Amino acid sequence: MEIKEYVRPSSLEEAYQLMRTRHATPLGGCVWLRMNAKPVALGVDLASLDLDYIRDTGDMIEIGAMTTYRSLETSNLLAKQYGKLFPEALSHIVGVQLRATISVGGTVAGRYGFSDLNTTLSALGAKVVLYPGTITDLATFIAEGAESPFLVEKILLPKGVRGAYQQIRITRNDFPILNVAVAWTGSAWRVAVGSRPAATRLCHAAMQMLGSDPCPSDQTIEAASMQAAEETSVGSDIRASHDYRKAVLPVLIRRALLEVRG
Amino acid sequence: MIVTITINGKKESLQIEPGDMLVDTLRNAGHVEVKKGCDTGNCGVCTVLLDGKPIRSCSFLAVRAEGHEITTIQGVAEEARRFADFLNREGADQCGFCAPGFALTVIAMKRELKNPTEEEIRHYLAGNLCRCTGYESQHRAIRNYLEADHA
Repeated sequence: MEIKEYVRPSSLEEAYQLMRTRHATPLGGCVWLRMNAKPVALGVDLASLDLDYIRDTGDMIEIGAMTTYRSLETSNLLAKQYGKLFPEALSHIVGVQLRATISVGGTVAGRYGFSDLNTTLSALGAKVVLYPGTITDLATFIAEGAESPFLVEKILLPKGVRGAYQQIRITRNDFPILNVAVAWTGSAWRVAVGSRPAATRLCHAAMQMLGSDPCPSDQTIEAASMQAAEETSVGSDIRASHDYRKAVLPVLIRRALLEVRG
Repeated sequence: MIVTITINGKKESLQIEPGDMLVDTLRNAGHVEVKKGCDTGNCGVCTVLLDGKPIRSCSFLAVRAEGHEITTIQGVAEEARRFADFLNREGADQCGFCAPGFALTVIAMKRELKNPTEEEIRHYLAGNLCRCTGYESQHRAIRNYLEADHA
């Protein structure tokens, strides 16, 4: 990885101004960024901005942009709120060593198609806080991006949400062929599909079909699963064809819905 | 630029480029016990401990190690030799290239998890690839190594 000039700012404002005035590249976990052959003209290291935290603010959970996957996976606070959702979504990604480096902010900012985390956060109804203070629905941000430059500061998660995650992979440590997360927010269902192989999208029609019933019938779940597969655009890549993804998708969604409904 | 990193208990000031990865910095400084494998963060061969926690040195910026403590397999040599005895008894080592990263991860796991289950062991070691052993002999060795402390 080539970084021609390196700065480690001590405030978000300083980092943001470097991005705004000098087109600097923010350095998160750098695990994916380093795979890019393009040199970084000015790298702004976010490591000293105290963005590595998971905290309960009373009405929501805040996750700092430099929090690692390993921290999400082993957090007692997240386990208390969301059960095994985060370990199930993240713990199969390569190994503990790499998950100790991958950052939440880097994943969200990159809006990567293969991301397991973005699918999970979208289903939970997360919001992303972009410095200096823009709060956006994370699923919308994944779909539409943000005006450049933007700097991911933290993620906001609602409390009292029950979620489940499903995925299919060729081998354990590979990128997913598909990943799915669903959640019951207390008043509505959310269904997110990622690794299509494109980035995560919500299945709005399926969510509407599930309605506001916390215990939808088996028939409703089956119909919503089929609807999600119908409305979700998927493609072909080296891992799976369009047809394969279309066939597998309703199965994963049905399993996730049944898990949350109980 | 110069970074000061504590490597195996000794402070070292090293000349680096800002984009250098830790594996290259360590090897250039003579710590060739840190192996370079896939260089894409997949194989686990380059594992070192950062303040006691395992990371992949091929995917970690050397500049971020400034002020931190890095442990290579040389830094836990005595414990690694003890573990190696269990590997040898099970025939769980062949070419040996993955061994430094593998042993460091096992030692980190032992410190982090109390009485790990078989599933937890496999999960913790999932990121350390070995093309020789097929893993089963390694897992027997790990189990014996962990149980020896409780004997």
